[in-house]
Amino acid sequence: MSTKVLIVDDEVEFASTLAERLALRNYDVKAVYNAEDAITTAQSDPPDVVLLDLRMPGIGGLEVLKTLKKFDPTIEVILVTGQPETEGADEGIPTGLFDYIMKPVDMGELIVKINNADQKRNLSKHS
Amino acid sequence: MEYEELINSQLSFIGKVLSVFSHDINNHLAILKESAGLIGDLIEFGKTSSRKELKEILKITQSIKNQIELTTYFCDKLNGFGHGMEKPLSAFNIHECIEELIVLLSRFINQKMICLEKDFTVNMPLIYSNPLKIQFLMFCLVEKHLKRLDRNSRIIIKTMYANDSIGITIIPKGNLIEADDELICSDELYKHIIKQLGGNVSQKTADETTIILPVSLSSDRYVR
Repeated sequence: MSTKVLIVDDEVEFASTLAERLALRNYDVKAVYNAEDAITTAQSDPPDVVLLDLRMPGIGGLEVLKTLKKFDPTIEVILVTGQPETEGADEGIPTGLFDYIMKPVDMGELIVKINNADQKRNLSKHS
Repeated sequence: MEYEELINSQLSFIGKVLSVFSHDINNHLAILKESAGLIGDLIEFGKTSSRKELKEILKITQSIKNQIELTTYFCDKLNGFGHGMEKPLSAFNIHECIEELIVLLSRFINQKMICLEKDFTVNMPLIYSNPLKIQFLMFCLVEKHLKRLDRNSRIIIKTMYANDSIGITIIPKGNLIEADDELICSDELYKHIIKQLGGNVSQKTADETTIILPVSLSSDRYVR
């Protein structure tokens, strides 16, 4: 079964293009463009891995991370960020962040991180 | 006013503009990289044989062009911002000066989900002053409202011209929230900048502030 990936980024073009590229690689991908839709989508159709933008208008990425982990602690979240040291990616680690990746994204690196996150999710679900 | 405080605040302001700008450019580059990557993927995965698939590629190349245009627009604004720092006094269009600041800080403003509206007069002459100080002043006036206004609020920037002076009024519209973030600019600081620019400030209500600046600031009136 394909890994279910949810992309959450207010940059519509970035999220939708990345979704298309991941879909070509046989991931089951959805893209949403704000925090509210991310939470609703994750609750109605829980993803395995979430690629989450940190800085979004309104509810920020770290808030989404907390909500998702409260809803399902096995969902793995990878932050997609511009400047991790100044944007609080490190602050996200204690609340259950799996990893982060810098924008512009390196597809090879992203695939490795998604697969690692999915593997961890599978282990958590079956333990 | 301590000289060091003035310099530090202005550096914080410039730092804010640069970090917001570079974040924006980084986002455009990320989109460009994904778009170019998608074209490569479509070729690699053999999805370029039908007319429909070729149309998809044309759509992506158009998106690349749009992103490059947007990036160029942002870079032009930063270029203007940089030139504004080269000399203490120069002749410039105040509306373009404000617009430049709004564009450079657009990500910061959008994050707050606050709408910045311009109500610019049509008969504004060129002014002779210090563009960076005016932008810093505008930032000081807008920053506190950005921190204290609730989502979906508005900040109106209104300009007027009369008697060889220009007026810039900042009008916040919306609900107030508690803000514990520190401001880059203190009230004392922005009043000091107005004095440096040979102007004065008037407060119609607790929140609505108007600054009056001379159209032409002679170098002997310019307080360094």
